[in-house]
Amino acid sequence: MKILVAVKQVAALDEDFEIRADGLDVDEDFLLFDLNEWDDYSLEEAMKIKEASSGDVEVVVVSIGPERVDESLRKCLAKGADRALRVWDDAIEGSDSSVMARLLAAVVRKEAPDMVFAGVQSSDHAFAATGIGLAGELGWPHAAVVNALDYAPGARQASLKRELEGGVSQSVTLQCPAVLTIQLGINTPRYASLRGIKQANAKPIDVLGLGDLGVAASTVGVDASLSRVRRMYIPPKGRAQMIEGSPDQQAARLVEIIREFKGA
Amino acid sequence: MDATAQTTRILFEQFSPWAINLFYAFGYAAIACFLYGSYVQVRKYRRGQPDASWGQLAARFGDMARTMLTHRTLKRRDHAAGAAHAMIFFSFIALFVGTATITLEVDILKPLFGITFWKGGFYLLFSLVLDLAGLGLIGGLLYMMYRRKWMALPKLDYTRPDRQPGDPDYDRSAYRREDWAFLWTLILIGITGYVLEASRLVWLSGDAGVWDSRFWSPVGALLAHSLMGLGLDASGAGTLRGGLWWFHGLLALSFIALIPFTKVKHIFTASASLMFRDPLAGRRLPKVPETQEAAGYQAITDLTWKNLLHLDACTKCGRCHEACPARTVGAPLSPRDVILSLREFANHALAASSLPDKAELSIHGKGPGQVFMETLWSCRTCLACVEICPVAVEHVPIIVQMRRKLVEEGQMEPILQKTLQTIHKTGNSFGESKRKRGAWTKGLPFPVKDARKEPVETLWFVGDYAAFDPRNQKVTQAFARLLHAAGEDFGLLLDGELNAGNDVRRVGEEGLYEHLASSNIATLEGCEFKRIVTTDPHSFNTIRNEYPEFADPALRGLFQIEHYSTVLLKLIQNGRLTLKKHLSHRVTFHDPCHLGRFNKGYDAPRELLALIGCTLVEMPRNRDNSFCCGAGGGRIWIPDPVGMEKPAQNRMKEAAGLPDIDVFVVACPKDLTMFEDALKTTPGCEGRFVVRELIELIAECVEAADPAPAALAAAPAMA
Amino acid sequence: MSKILVIAEHRQGELRPVSLELIAAAQGLGGPITVAVIGANAQAFVPALSLPGVDEILTVASPFAEFNPEVQEAAVAALITELAPAVVLLGHTVDSLAYAAALAGKLGLGFASDVFKIECQGSDLVATRAAYSQKVNVEVDFPGKATVLLTVRPAVFKPAEGSASPATRSIAAPAVTTTSAPGEYIEIASGNDIDITTVDFILSVGRGVGEEANIQQFRDLAETAGATLCCSRPIADSGWLPKSRQVGQSGKVASNCGLYLAMGISGAIQHLAGMKHVGTIVAVNTDPEASIFSVAKYGIVGDMFEIGEALKEALEG
Repeated sequence: MKILVAVKQVAALDEDFEIRADGLDVDEDFLLFDLNEWDDYSLEEAMKIKEASSGDVEVVVVSIGPERVDESLRKCLAKGADRALRVWDDAIEGSDSSVMARLLAAVVRKEAPDMVFAGVQSSDHAFAATGIGLAGELGWPHAAVVNALDYAPGARQASLKRELEGGVSQSVTLQCPAVLTIQLGINTPRYASLRGIKQANAKPIDVLGLGDLGVAASTVGVDASLSRVRRMYIPPKGRAQMIEGSPDQQAARLVEIIREFKGA
Repeated sequence: MDATAQTTRILFEQFSPWAINLFYAFGYAAIACFLYGSYVQVRKYRRGQPDASWGQLAARFGDMARTMLTHRTLKRRDHAAGAAHAMIFFSFIALFVGTATITLEVDILKPLFGITFWKGGFYLLFSLVLDLAGLGLIGGLLYMMYRRKWMALPKLDYTRPDRQPGDPDYDRSAYRREDWAFLWTLILIGITGYVLEASRLVWLSGDAGVWDSRFWSPVGALLAHSLMGLGLDASGAGTLRGGLWWFHGLLALSFIALIPFTKVKHIFTASASLMFRDPLAGRRLPKVPETQEAAGYQAITDLTWKNLLHLDACTKCGRCHEACPARTVGAPLSPRDVILSLREFANHALAASSLPDKAELSIHGKGPGQVFMETLWSCRTCLACVEICPVAVEHVPIIVQMRRKLVEEGQMEPILQKTLQTIHKTGNSFGESKRKRGAWTKGLPFPVKDARKEPVETLWFVGDYAAFDPRNQKVTQAFARLLHAAGEDFGLLLDGELNAGNDVRRVGEEGLYEHLASSNIATLEGCEFKRIVTTDPHSFNTIRNEYPEFADPALRGLFQIEHYSTVLLKLIQNGRLTLKKHLSHRVTFHDPCHLGRFNKGYDAPRELLALIGCTLVEMPRNRDNSFCCGAGGGRIWIPDPVGMEKPAQNRMKEAAGLPDIDVFVVACPKDLTMFEDALKTTPGCEGRFVVRELIELIAECVEAADPAPAALAAAPAMA
Repeated sequence: MSKILVIAEHRQGELRPVSLELIAAAQGLGGPITVAVIGANAQAFVPALSLPGVDEILTVASPFAEFNPEVQEAAVAALITELAPAVVLLGHTVDSLAYAAALAGKLGLGFASDVFKIECQGSDLVATRAAYSQKVNVEVDFPGKATVLLTVRPAVFKPAEGSASPATRSIAAPAVTTTSAPGEYIEIASGNDIDITTVDFILSVGRGVGEEANIQQFRDLAETAGATLCCSRPIADSGWLPKSRQVGQSGKVASNCGLYLAMGISGAIQHLAGMKHVGTIVAVNTDPEASIFSVAKYGIVGDMFEIGEALKEALEG
């Protein structure tokens, strides 16, 4: 019994960031990398299933990216994942989520898990496409934006809830194996202590190249992607009228605004 | 002269041989019981982990003997109890040595070598000393009984803040019964000793050899006269003496037999605890060995033998209970009860001949003897408990070791988890970009050196609060201006600096601490400087006491660090900074835990206050008894429960109780934040005084316009 | 511009508002517009979709009244094959999240999600989306792609208005063996709690509140101010306020709110989605760069607790 959790190392922007000279992305100097917030939840969901099971459940995390991604994978290993895989080849650089889905599908075929989790979206590019794209590549049952899950390892069916807009959820039953994209709030992710992360150094991270996955170089990279970045820019921002002064003065102005509104 | 030369006491006088043999049988049984009990205790300690405190035994012994002979630690903050204990202690020693002396002659020297010395002048002096010692013993015990019964001391109240009535281990009445049994047993031994002596004198009043020297036992003699006055004759006295002899003897033997099983064992455990005292306890927390897989204490057997010994050394004197800031504001923590809980747990789990299952050894949880998570997280690691403990119990290292386990398991406030992740990610607790660490220097009229790029005399380790907190940035800038005005060649690590890790370590996130410390150490090792200074006592402590353990042994000298108070004091004393005006404020000074109690930096801030003309009014809790602001041990990252008094508010009330102070002076960035907040939220305190950093006051004096000479002359001369 | 296919959305018998926004977006591109609506009762939505600029409405009959990702994917794939549109517009909604990426991958369509601007630059279709927590905009194009599938951010385009009489046509959805069975809808139990979509003055707190115990201060403040206390997602996820008080995409839309006081809310896009109708937004945040300040009318850079306290005193005083 195996659960595969696809994770991503995402970038946040540092103070006073600058756009790269080619205008296509932010200068890497200003990127702060960390594990995607959604992935904390999907890994936790897998760990919960593993820990609740009396049988043997293996949790395997997989990510696509260069060597720096190992740090995020180690965090997953520290939280209890049994094994980590990292897929990389320089040809992958610049790929969009559809290529990621293709690569992950190759990993799924190789690993043959009983269940695949991915985050709903990544916090950096927020395409919200990789997980469901992967399901499409595999032709597997899938559900997006899952905020509750009832699944026994190896079961043929899972019941879950999808989080819809406007405070509504929908219950769904689906056949397994399946691909689920996991929403924030489904559980409370555990803490990975730094010692745990350090000790996870001892657990192996298998690096897979295109050859290992049987994926042709021509099917990855920006040319194989469904979109291409033309330009990245910092949008002119609308700016609130700032209320200055001491907290008391600011509060006094707020009272005016409130009274004005109530009088209106 | 001749008559007295042979004066002695005949042991077992008129005892039949079988009675003597019976007494010896009781004696051997008592010793056997004592030895077995001691063996069980030692076996318990040996079930703990190894501890490296075995070096320098002679020095340790000397230190212990000094502490015990001076009763230095026992007299602190409770002189009367210390004095009474000294009376009991020295009397007990005298009586014990006296008894041992008799044993030496009767059971060893006389039968083996025919030597006797317990006679004549020596015997009489011996009688006098022991007679008076009995008085000291009884006097001391009477005070202790009075204190326990009538003084209603909060520290002797065994009510547990960490348990609710009805919890299985809430009830502490067994301790109270033991306390009284101990006092009564000892005092009865003392009293019956006198009556025994008196009745022997009356019984032998016809024997001039005994009767004529009776006043060498003055208390016994007076009692003998009183008894005779009450109509006791020699034969009645003989009967009384016979009964009392057995009562007194058996009581004393029982006392010896029970030592390992009762609080009496503190005569050994407390001594040993003092002997293995770690002067850096809590200041330098234990490293997790590279080879050790799991950090922290999960099971009672994870404690070291020394920790287990500490548990038994505690005499429940309650000084730590009284000093603890968490306990004071009503948090579910008393250092005393942590120690006692663990002691009860250890006695229960480790007393049998074989160890129970691993699962039954866990000291975390809600069961009897286990320590609640809330209790551990209430600790501010201020060291008030460790500092005041008269028998050198080291509470804080145990608490931090237990927290390490909680951290491994993620059992902490989500907000603390977030903060730790933030520190890991950004290197500071504010979640600010590394690039902004030096942003405060932009407000300075001169450039500041990057110590990573050029050699400097003084490397300034700024610390998170001083670098990122907007209020503290003003103080940080003022200190930079002072260094600049003094012509000091200084530089910063800028974005190369990470959170020093002092509080991260005290939270129990040892892995993150290792990461922060080793990264800072590597940065420091790459710089050229003569000394480090900081305005942050927390950074000061860890760099001074803990970084050397993580550094290349050859480079340990690198971590010569000074707090700004000593730096500024020297700069003013040697004339590199000129005070252009004096402040005539009435001030009080809050000793930061990490500067004062941790590193004994009590005097420099006070000298500085005197130099700038301030009148210092001490708060009742000052210097080593300074009351923590509540920020330590990572608690600055965990909001205090709503509705409960914050330690900083408690401190504000203390300051507000002083007559007419203008300024509450602090010398720590976290204190500035904590007390400025507390001043606003403590009813009746706002407007009474202001909170200021010592640096700000000094900058005001140094940066003032040149004074009119008359104004300076009029400034009050300060001692 | 060549053909545009718009996929309308509906749920529980109601047309989703995003459908009209998609039509507006299509109108802006200026090509023939086909609107498709898929479901057992697809006919019912024809009147609402009969808008100016819509050339044809296709009702695709499926065995299911409600959205089913596999049926939807197969139906849209069939439509694309049949119509060969240059652009397919979907809402960036939870329903689309369940199939759009799979569809784009299988058919090799040009694809971008969560776009909020679509334009033609020369012969190129250019879509703009945001990245890195809305701090940058990214323009993407789709070289060599005959059909481009875009999911469009809701509440950006002003819903299309008016009425027209486009041609309508009914077709059947392709037969699909489904592997999932969507079931009942569950309204987040709000009990007797107030319906925040109806209130006009909201005080909303976000991550900045730090911990549960601090909520009370703002409950008191809201009461003093006569406002309804609401929150952003992390607060509801933590259970500190009921889910019924969550403003945002997965919570409720503050659709009748005139004054919205956002304290300690940085302004994640999902939260802003719930504030789109608000008249006046006032934001209090310690971070001067917080994106909430770009949508707020008034801003205060400061500590929410300090300002909150001062405000309460000022209101009482």
